[in-house]
Amino acid sequence: MNTLRASLRVPVARAALAVLALVLLLALLGGRIAPADPLAQDTAHILGGPSADHLLGTDYLGRDVLSRLLAGTGLSVLAAVEAVAVAALLGVVPGLLSVRFGPAGSWLALRAVDSLMTLPFTLFAIAAVGLLGNGLHQAMLALGVLLAPLFFRVTRAAALGLDRAQYVEAAELMGASRSWILRVHIWRKVLPTVAVTTAHALATGLLTVSSLTFLGIGVQPPAPTWGGMLASDLGFLAQQPWAPIPPAVLIMLTVGALNLLADVLADSDRTGAAPATARARRVAGRRAASGGPSVQGGPSGQSGPSVRGVPSVQGVPSVQGVPSAPGADSTGPAPSVPDRKEHDHVPHPA
Amino acid sequence: MTSSSSDRPLLGRRSLLGLGLGLGASFALAACGDPGQAGTGGSTAGGTLKWGWALPTSWDPVFSSAGWDVHSLSLVYAGLTKLDEQGTAVPALASAWKFSADGTSVTFTLRPGLTFSDGTPLDASAVKKSLDRGRTEAKSLVAPQLTSIREVSAPDAQTVLLELSRPDYQIPNLLAGKTGMVVNPKAFESDAAGLATRPAGAGPFTLTSYTQNAKAVLRRNPAYWDATAIKLENFELYPLPDAATVVAGLQSGQFDVAQIPGSQVAAAKAAGLEVQVIPSLVVAVLDVNIEKTPFDNPKVVEALKFAIDREALLKTQLFGYGEVNHQPFPKGYVGYDPASADLYRYDPAKARALLTEAGHPDGVDLTLTTTAAQGLPEQLQAQLKEVGIRATIDVVPAAQATQIVYIQHAKALFTDQFAGRDSAAQAFQVLFGEQGLMNPGRRTPPELAAAVEQVSRTPLDSPEYPKALRAATALAVRTMPNTFLYSVPRLLARRKSVSPIPAFTAVQRFEGVTAS
Repeated sequence: MNTLRASLRVPVARAALAVLALVLLLALLGGRIAPADPLAQDTAHILGGPSADHLLGTDYLGRDVLSRLLAGTGLSVLAAVEAVAVAALLGVVPGLLSVRFGPAGSWLALRAVDSLMTLPFTLFAIAAVGLLGNGLHQAMLALGVLLAPLFFRVTRAAALGLDRAQYVEAAELMGASRSWILRVHIWRKVLPTVAVTTAHALATGLLTVSSLTFLGIGVQPPAPTWGGMLASDLGFLAQQPWAPIPPAVLIMLTVGALNLLADVLADSDRTGAAPATARARRVAGRRAASGGPSVQGGPSGQSGPSVRGVPSVQGVPSVQGVPSAPGADSTGPAPSVPDRKEHDHVPHPA
Repeated sequence: MTSSSSDRPLLGRRSLLGLGLGLGASFALAACGDPGQAGTGGSTAGGTLKWGWALPTSWDPVFSSAGWDVHSLSLVYAGLTKLDEQGTAVPALASAWKFSADGTSVTFTLRPGLTFSDGTPLDASAVKKSLDRGRTEAKSLVAPQLTSIREVSAPDAQTVLLELSRPDYQIPNLLAGKTGMVVNPKAFESDAAGLATRPAGAGPFTLTSYTQNAKAVLRRNPAYWDATAIKLENFELYPLPDAATVVAGLQSGQFDVAQIPGSQVAAAKAAGLEVQVIPSLVVAVLDVNIEKTPFDNPKVVEALKFAIDREALLKTQLFGYGEVNHQPFPKGYVGYDPASADLYRYDPAKARALLTEAGHPDGVDLTLTTTAAQGLPEQLQAQLKEVGIRATIDVVPAAQATQIVYIQHAKALFTDQFAGRDSAAQAFQVLFGEQGLMNPGRRTPPELAAAVEQVSRTPLDSPEYPKALRAATALAVRTMPNTFLYSVPRLLARRKSVSPIPAFTAVQRFEGVTAS
């Protein structure tokens, strides 16, 4: 994709990707590269400080903190990925299809999505766990359902503009099938927007997973998770005041990298997908850097600008000029919602 | 006229309320601002004590559903008897009592001139009504402990006569706890449900305001029979503070006294707080259901008892405060059986051998139920794994644990704590009785039932009593599946402005405590 390739040229994106690649590596191999068994207790040496044997010290049951941190990465990341995968599946597909729903169907779908968006993540996940049993998959399913409206709205907004684009109508007149149009003309233009949303949702998901495990929901000890380690460390601050730092730093780094990546993706989606010459991209980049209107739109998940940007590449009139389906569903609220929710759901160690 | 007069009292009440709040605040400020004043008068009461402990499930002793509530309820209620620091029943509302020669009736003589905190006279008929309510109220949670009482009568205003269905010398101890708290009949005859939030007793304090899950504010009750021993004018009760913030809460004056976990003792001392380790009747225990696999095989139960390294548990869970225990009573208590002191000393080889004998040479799977997986359950899981018991941790919400474990008996193994009881026989009933909360298997060997019966039949001052009680303890720990782990002391940290807290084994009391 142009957008993705363009993003890679931005140093911040490369740094973010490097961090994410490292986290992914830890997630896949964490348990295997851990220096000790993350569950092995040594009650003769509890709450030990960093030493040659235990680089990050030992916890309240004498377990190696570094090993637990490494082994805990998998569960924490996997959970966030699971939630986002559920959300993407539940959001993107109906989002694309909704373009053809008709006014009544659209109205119903949008109101349903609106009502889901009013629910707070953590409380909903706790309720779901109460109903379905205390497990990570139940909690992540609940989280996925709540994240889905974001994907739905963003996908629908992106696809709505394209649906009436002249080249799509031209393709239809030429007898192209619905699915061919979806795959060739629509999906590739929607994908960058979805990528931005995914990065953003992953960050939200990871924070929520950490909050839930902090509260003892989803994953139960002795299985290590970042949030769970943070929670147990708080009980022993008198012995190890520094103990919450390693898991907190890991959470911050990962979430920060995801958010930065989302920002860069959003920026290059707006600017980098412009005529595919390096020069044009540079110009666009400068314009963005100098505080052009596209940047002021705010970070991440800006479905609006991306929709406007894409068709103009193809030399068709801006989407803004195209009469879109009724309803205030194309831009606005979608990107702002995750931000608001994040503020409601900062993890609790405050 | 009528309409305006109906408005006015409303305004009046509001401004009165505002005035009251203002006055309250100024009193509080005065209390904070002039600490010296309260301490000067030896006998006059003063000062405020803020206790970070726990709020009761209900302020009505008949419906309170947690054993732990006895501590907070004792602030507002008094009984015919109370327990002294060693756990012996001593006079309270009753100045004396006398058993009949065969032990089938006991006569309590009330102190003269007793009143409830609202001024209603507390006479024998009030005691009778209160005890009868505990015995007969449809959903009474103290009724099972009062089964040996056949009839309560009040021959005169100062005398309460309890006729028993069998000799039961445990009655004075029993009545010192929640079971015997005397509730004002005026309150439960008019609004029984209201007692849950508005206690009506004759205790050392009266409740003046109560916010559920947040705070209870109490004021000294000048009509309390032992009011001269109560030096605190105001008392505030708070839920158990969080381990991470309790020391800071004490330092800042949010609490004057608080229960702290073992992990915070060093921090509390470093912060200049006084820490008291008060031996208590609380013991950590595993409830074992012998109706559930694999515990339907007694060999597996025995293997479990030998598979646990109690010293290691004590070290990590209580940071070494407390004592390893293999029986329901702490060392020093009359029922403590020295011969059972090391009964199930950690012996993984023996545990493995027992498992093999039980037909599980390759180990056995079981589920360990708990309300919070962190800590003890994790450590037990690791210890059991050493001998081939593969435990899966199953977390149930604390709010549902009573229902699931005590009432449905749905779980094979549950991590629990026994709070102790005012009477030893009552403790046996709860732990081992056929209806006992902590005996999910619902079976009691007949010889144990007979031994407990013998305890009840023996007068407490008889030289035979310790022998009878120890014999019952020895029998219980050998025949019952309950797996005792360690005695949990009461760890109290207090500000230097508070005088030492008396070391009551059973129920924490505050006689003589001063705060400036």
